[in-house]
Amino acid sequence: MTRRLLGALLRLAPRGFREGPGADLLQVHDARAAELTGRDRRFIRLRRLDFGIREAWGLGVLVAGLWIDVWNQRERRGGVMFETLWQDARFAARSLRRNPGFAWTAIAVIAIGIGANAAIFTAANAFFFRPLPFDEPGELVVLYETNPEFGWDDATAAPANMFDWREQVGAFADVSAYSEFTSQLTTFREGEPVLVGGTSVVGNFFTTLGVAPQLGRTFRLEETWEGSDNVVVLSHRLWQEYFGGDPDVVGKTIQMNDASPEIVGVMPAGFHFPSAQTDLWYPRGWAVGAREEVWFRRAHMVRAFARLAPGVDMDEADAQLQVVVRRLQVEYPETNAVMGAGIAPMHDFLVKGVRTQLLVLLGAVGLLLLLACTNVANLMLVRANDRTREVALRRALGAARERVARQMLGESVLIAGIGAAIGLALGWVGLQAIATSEDLGIDGATSLALDHRVVLFTAAVAIASGLLFGAGPVFRTMAGDAESALRDGGRSSTGGRRGLRTVSALVTVEVALALMLVLGAGLMVRTFATLRSVDPGFEPAGLMAVQFGIPPSRYQTRDEVLDFYDRFIASMEARPGIRKVGTVQQLPLSGTSWSSSAKGETWGPDRVAFEVIHRRADADYFETVGTPLIRGRLFETTDGPDDPLVVVINETFAREHFGPDEDPIGERIAYDREPTEESNWYEIVGIVADQHQQTPRHAPRAEVFENRDQDWGRSSWVVIRADGGTDQIMPSVRAVLAEMDPLIPIARTESMTQVWRRSMAREAFLLKLLSVFGAVALLLATVGVYGVTAQAARRRTQEIGIRMALGARGLDVLRLMLRHGLVVIGLGLFFGVMGASLGARALQSLLFGVEATDPATLVAVAGLLGFVAVVACYVPARRATRLDPVSSLRSE
Amino acid sequence: MAGMTPLTYEILLALADESRHGYGIIKEIEERSGAGAAPSTGALYLALQRMQTDALIEETAAGPGADARRKYYRLTLKGRDHAEAESVRLAELVVAARRKNLLAGGAS
Repeated sequence: MTRRLLGALLRLAPRGFREGPGADLLQVHDARAAELTGRDRRFIRLRRLDFGIREAWGLGVLVAGLWIDVWNQRERRGGVMFETLWQDARFAARSLRRNPGFAWTAIAVIAIGIGANAAIFTAANAFFFRPLPFDEPGELVVLYETNPEFGWDDATAAPANMFDWREQVGAFADVSAYSEFTSQLTTFREGEPVLVGGTSVVGNFFTTLGVAPQLGRTFRLEETWEGSDNVVVLSHRLWQEYFGGDPDVVGKTIQMNDASPEIVGVMPAGFHFPSAQTDLWYPRGWAVGAREEVWFRRAHMVRAFARLAPGVDMDEADAQLQVVVRRLQVEYPETNAVMGAGIAPMHDFLVKGVRTQLLVLLGAVGLLLLLACTNVANLMLVRANDRTREVALRRALGAARERVARQMLGESVLIAGIGAAIGLALGWVGLQAIATSEDLGIDGATSLALDHRVVLFTAAVAIASGLLFGAGPVFRTMAGDAESALRDGGRSSTGGRRGLRTVSALVTVEVALALMLVLGAGLMVRTFATLRSVDPGFEPAGLMAVQFGIPPSRYQTRDEVLDFYDRFIASMEARPGIRKVGTVQQLPLSGTSWSSSAKGETWGPDRVAFEVIHRRADADYFETVGTPLIRGRLFETTDGPDDPLVVVINETFAREHFGPDEDPIGERIAYDREPTEESNWYEIVGIVADQHQQTPRHAPRAEVFENRDQDWGRSSWVVIRADGGTDQIMPSVRAVLAEMDPLIPIARTESMTQVWRRSMAREAFLLKLLSVFGAVALLLATVGVYGVTAQAARRRTQEIGIRMALGARGLDVLRLMLRHGLVVIGLGLFFGVMGASLGARALQSLLFGVEATDPATLVAVAGLLGFVAVVACYVPARRATRLDPVSSLRSE
Repeated sequence: MAGMTPLTYEILLALADESRHGYGIIKEIEERSGAGAAPSTGALYLALQRMQTDALIEETAAGPGADARRKYYRLTLKGRDHAEAESVRLAELVVAARRKNLLAGGAS
């Protein structure tokens, strides 16, 4: 980490140094770091941290020093500018040290603002700016399929179509594909079965991406097909962990499920595309004749991508692609009649899911920084007012106007600089905290890093904010004419009418900005609450799901596998505390596995149910997870493999595809748009309540449950409900497994509460961040309102004294004082609402069950902010009423 | 040259007998003054850079048996003069300190 930070810092050094002694410096650093590890290993982390901090600091000093030297040299030629700059900086530092309360408050506020920006920008950087780790990533495009009937707009492609694009579109230098699904493969490590994540790919996957292996070679196109597919490429991580970095690993074999493919290559460290879990890549292994078969054009199962031929742009490639798409529509009407395809830059495609979220967060931290700047500007103004006389005096004594201005600006820049350094550290720490709970970065391709972009961004933000909050006070001080300031005994220096007006305007802005930020948090609270109140269709508490890696070598037939599950379920249910156990192919709130069209036997020619989801389950699944049967029956023992096929559908299917007077039960359906002789017919025997398949945000979709005993498949989740929480479940699972077959690994375990929470993780994440921003905004605005009221009170001390001497009561004074604060707050709220209604649209797509302009939330937020602000304004106002008239008259 | 920094003096001292690269200078300082006394790598290179500008030291070709990828530094004549002058100044200070009984073995 330190090393990367040092590298980033070094990039800020003058070029002559960077390209010359810079490399030498890093070598020396490396040697010292290595030596540190080599010696005595006590307190090694602490010592490493200490060393890292000192090295980073030293490098910071070096970079600053080198630039000062560069400046100095220029100055020697050009004049004395640098000399004075240096004096200014020292002057600024001295004057800040004289007033540490002010300095640290300002630095803290700016550090929070810049820290939030640095953190969010680092995340945005990982997604938007860090290049994909491929050769010429700009030439890579994703090819997706579209289908208006199914509502697809960026679907995975059918392999047959992918190969046709590859051969028929001249604009593509090459086309390849990978599976978006990471499979869990059983391998053995020291005799113990373990699972590693594998991605299946088309043979030219690596060559199309343009990534080279560290060892050996990558796949060849012909290795895509069955027969030549007994090869595998390892990730650097797997190579290190399982083979101890053995340099002769290429040519050896690795146990993978029940095969032992040959290792042909090892990828460089950090390469895990397309998933952070990917640790080995294996060819898809399709049967050689598959290209002639219908399923190859029907099963949309690979994510296709292409490299554009040299000199070809996206539009041209798209035009050529569309020609081929239309040709395929005509040639294969059965599968491709309405199948379209589209093209998108790979980077854009990969970050699509997070774009809005990150932009909203960037917007939020931008507002926060603006708020922080306004706050500091306010502090500076108050200070500038106090210094009017000092400045006037210096100017009267002959100081140049620009010089005085520069000295004042120097303070701002110094505050911003220190604030930025602290903010950068704060942001990095905060981001690490976030990153432990969230995957940040493009899966398997880029990651969070404190690189030179982040450092430059932070520096730019710091300078901009320093100028932003520093300029106002400078203008104010400079504008006043020296003579009157001196003459008037500094009375106006506690804040002339104009000064108060400026401060009030700034506080109005603060209240407005705070309203927008708190409103964002409020809307996320509403969204999250609504999501939590959505019934997911099952009862998560006390429910656990487990998946096993059942080796096909020892459990070959369907009976053997089903028997394994049956015995497992029986043993589990016999254990104390376990209430019910069932199996299902895919858990709810975890996406969908496959979908098809469906057609009822009695339906007319134009009636088709598009995009019906399929899941395989046993009858006990529904009771175990707590999804009630609405009508009809579930699967029974009489629904054996040789009996007529039966299915259960969900309520949405019944509602969407059957009329109110029709009874779905008894209807037979086939999974084809136009059933043929070969179609299988399934009789609907029951209707169960809906489960949300994707997230609580996505409405349940029409779904068919196949019977586990009839529609067999190897992979299943076992769901287990216990009476008293999930703690006792896993020990039972392990005990039962140890008895039955200790060589079977547990592939994955999930508590269903976790699954449920994860389905709302994005909203929870946004809620957390926006709440923090909102709270900080509230605090800053409160401080601002307090400050302006207190200042107004101070300015009017004499007036109040006179009024009270003339018989005004405390209440009158209070009213007088409050009036000013209330106007400021009211205006702020008004502008805030205006701003919020402009910005609301950006947030809308992240919300659920609440409009971005929701009046109730708006009123609640404005009420909260208004209340807090009025309290902040009441306290100093109240104090003013307690003044003793005599002493306040003397207050000069 | 008024007010030579302690680090500058340490570097001049390290280079007085032979030319060294950055890591060698650090090792030499650590040996003489303890591991805690070594500057950060950044501070060392800033000093080296500035001393080159002031012509106190210069880069030199790596000697026989040395690592050719590294940059080696040696004293210039001016550097040697300054090192001597500073040593004399320090020695005079030590004598003065001894005279005032700040150092064991002082004039009593």
